[in-house]
Amino acid sequence: MIMMNWSIIIAPVFLLMGDKKLVPADILKITVPEIVVSAGERAVIKMEVEIKKGYHIQANKVKDGLLIPTTVKIDEDKNITTGRQEFPPAKKFKLEGTDDFLDVFDGVFEITIPIKTVAKTPKGEHILDAKFHYQACDNRTCLFPKSIGFSISIKII
Amino acid sequence: MKSILKSLFLITAAIFSIVAGAQEVQPMLGQTAPSFTLKAIDGKTYSLEQLRGKYVVIHFAATWCPFCNAEAPYLQELSKNYRDKGVEVFIVDVKEDKAIVEKSLARFNFSFPVLLDEDGAVSTKYAPDGVQPDLARHEVPLASNLIIDKEGKIRFYSLLNTTSFDAKLTKLKEKLDSLLNSK
Repeated sequence: MIMMNWSIIIAPVFLLMGDKKLVPADILKITVPEIVVSAGERAVIKMEVEIKKGYHIQANKVKDGLLIPTTVKIDEDKNITTGRQEFPPAKKFKLEGTDDFLDVFDGVFEITIPIKTVAKTPKGEHILDAKFHYQACDNRTCLFPKSIGFSISIKII
Repeated sequence: MKSILKSLFLITAAIFSIVAGAQEVQPMLGQTAPSFTLKAIDGKTYSLEQLRGKYVVIHFAATWCPFCNAEAPYLQELSKNYRDKGVEVFIVDVKEDKAIVEKSLARFNFSFPVLLDEDGAVSTKYAPDGVQPDLARHEVPLASNLIIDKEGKIRFYSLLNTTSFDAKLTKLKEKLDSLLNSK
């Protein structure tokens, strides 16, 4: 797998939930380097997520079923399939005044997603559309769950 | 001597401003609470006007809100302990469908009404001017608690403060006791 040195900063394409003023890009930024891989080989998508200072989002695994876990959904190409997503360990956020801790992400973290290409994958750029779903809170309020769309560029050589 | 007095005055003023800044300034106090008429998950309709003559505690919530869920058992306890004192407790759920709210909140077994603000219009009316200007207005009151007095005036309004989150509603109960004892 060859990874380019430059990154593509993914601009949110659309918003699925909530009529908001604060656009998702203000809360988080997703950066995905372009993947360059030979047809028939495997590679790994390394997406960097940066959460605005003061905010946190629920982790990918939540203890309380009512909470909204962070998810990444990728529309697979018939020639490119994705594997098990790896999230970083969650941080503990204490709910003051209770004995409860929330599992959250904040700051900058990486999610890795393995991909597999089939041998007959045509050369050139392939774009996978993806959605990042999350629910954020800061110290003053909790924002409604939101989804942002982004694209992952995979160059087959 | 004059300069010493001036220095003392400035130090005192600085201490007062630090103390005042540390305290959470509650918005909308003394204002007439915005009116609303909302359906509850029990199918009944409730309006704030019908509750004149009673103290009303309102908590703005959503089923996915961790702070709201942490507070939920204490709201139930509050309702149970203060109902006979003329206090009515309500949750106003913001922008969610009845089916989701009904299913999600079943575990709390609330004995008080959960109102459905499905379009967020009521929550928007309770968003204090100038608070969290970057947010959609219906998002601002989430996880906050209010006390509305017998005349319909707001007497307590705590916006979420995660660093000193009051899940057990200690400050709200103090204020409620003070109001009930002063009648």
